[in-house]
Amino acid sequence: MIEIDDVTVQFGGVLGLNALTANLAEPVTGLVGPNGAGKTTLINVLSGFVQPTKGRVRVDGRDLKDIPIRKRAAFGLRRTFQNEQIVENLTAGDNVAAVLDNVPTDGQPRRLLIDKALDFVGLLARRDTPGRDLNAYQRRMLEIARATAGLPRLIMMDEPGAGLAQHESEHLRDVIKAIHGYCGAQVLLVDHDVDLISATCTATLVLDFGSPIAYGPTPNVLADPKVRAAYLGVLEEDAT
Amino acid sequence: MPISTARLPLRAIAVCAGALLALYFLPAALSDYWLRALISVTALTVASLSVSLLFAQLGMVSLAQYGLLGVGGWFALRISHGLGVPFELALLTGGIAAALVGLVIGLPALRMRGLYLAIVTLMMAGAIQVLISAFGFPDGGSGILGKSTGTRMMMARPLLAQNDEAYLRYAIVIAGLCYLLVLAHVRGRPGRAWAMIRRSEVCALAGGVDITAYKVRAFALSGFLAGIAGGLLAGGVGQLDASAFPASQSIMLFALTIVGGAYSWLGPIVAGLLLRAFPALLNDFRIDGNIATMIFGLGLLHALITAPRGVAGQLADLVRTVRRLVGGKRKAES
Ligand SMILES: Nc1ncnc2c1ncn2[C@@H]1O[C@H](COP(=O)(O)OP(=O)(O)O)[C@@H](O)[C@H]1O
Ligand SMILES: [Mg+2]
Repeated sequence: MIEIDDVTVQFGGVLGLNALTANLAEPVTGLVGPNGAGKTTLINVLSGFVQPTKGRVRVDGRDLKDIPIRKRAAFGLRRTFQNEQIVENLTAGDNVAAVLDNVPTDGQPRRLLIDKALDFVGLLARRDTPGRDLNAYQRRMLEIARATAGLPRLIMMDEPGAGLAQHESEHLRDVIKAIHGYCGAQVLLVDHDVDLISATCTATLVLDFGSPIAYGPTPNVLADPKVRAAYLGVLEEDAT
Repeated sequence: MPISTARLPLRAIAVCAGALLALYFLPAALSDYWLRALISVTALTVASLSVSLLFAQLGMVSLAQYGLLGVGGWFALRISHGLGVPFELALLTGGIAAALVGLVIGLPALRMRGLYLAIVTLMMAGAIQVLISAFGFPDGGSGILGKSTGTRMMMARPLLAQNDEAYLRYAIVIAGLCYLLVLAHVRGRPGRAWAMIRRSEVCALAGGVDITAYKVRAFALSGFLAGIAGGLLAGGVGQLDASAFPASQSIMLFALTIVGGAYSWLGPIVAGLLLRAFPALLNDFRIDGNIATMIFGLGLLHALITAPRGVAGQLADLVRTVRRLVGGKRKAES
């Protein structure tokens, strides 16, 4: 459960988020909007990289102001990045271990948790492969594995589908659908691929210029004329 | 990774056995001059390891590490002369003292990196140089500074290693332990945290890494190694020269660590050899040892331009090429 209460983020003269208020309760929520709408900024506020100029954010009832950045992963706030951030010098297994080092593990053996996380995204066979030898798709999957290890509460994904081939996005879609059932975490998914959003997200929030222009069940939101206007050709193209 | 994370193969055991034999027989075959040179080489290998740890793990440039050798040497001498403790305890005290100073030197690293960090650490090296040349090294005198007015006393060597031959073996074993200490860190939790920090700070933060704690820890460990190196040097010579720890030596140590190869376990050994054995070799051929500095400059240029993994990296490439050639020949024969 994400409660965003009147959050404004100002970068000098630019508004990243403009008095945004929203309660996101669905297990898999979509977050869409044109480039520069504030999607990444919202994820950054939740993960602590950006301090809101005004307003407050709560996750599962905890005010995030009380949780310093480096404790947020342990609290259960996890994310993937628009520009992939896996560690090339560590093996896939050690990439997961590097996160498990800093988050609660429920007393389960680490080796098991690492294998489980890699298996979940289909990378178990790559456990001992150095990050530098993984392709773009495997890197995104490894980021998801890192995010699912060790009791996550909220997993935020910033455009995980960008630049993937057809069969890769299909696998990504299956993995995203499975996350909530697999580890119980809520998922916040940012992506431009409307098919991916409609296939995985029960509810969707649309941002434009840092403000919400629509929120509700995904099919209704995507059919909203205001949303189609904001997206201009993007959705039209998609409809045909 | 500076140290490959491959599993220990059987071959490694054979290499260890070979190393033990060499450790036993080699020192016996060396002249006094070369024994002493190799003792310094061993100490400087540990010093270079301390530089490569920071550089390879975190990409941080510390130009204060040779100064920390001085700090470690000072405390080791002071404790040894003042309390007459066993060498090991003096060595450890030197390491811990240098770790604490190294930690302080690392504090700016929490805020800055790259050229700025290099400059700040170089200034610290300058401060250490000033203190050391003002107060000198303890040599058995009284008072806090331990300076004697009469004859300078030698530092007591380890019970097990009274002569040069035994001391070289002893120093090599200590250097081996230092490598193991680094290996344990690199392959464990700190190594993973450092790798995340090196990737990017957002990557580390998103993974819950306590960036401050792990940066401080790297500087403390690096300082500890430098301190151990200083203590080994003090034990080797018996006393230390107050003019031997200028800030410029820290730059030299850093440069040669890059030339040697900061990302390889072999690199610090190459750097140690370049720092001491190379000038000694020139000396053997009656060539001015200062020429070494010029050659080092060229070597650094070469490393920066063509061989970012240093001499160690080139050696690895060479081995691979030879192996391929030999393997190719075998295939052709069969
Ligand atoms: N660190 C920053 N400094 C200045 N402006 C920023 C920063 N991050 C984002 N912005 C601006 O905030 C707005 C929202 O950006 P962002 O959240 O990245 O959009 P998107 O929805 O494409 O992810 C954009 O106008 C962007 O230029
Ligand atoms: Mg974005």
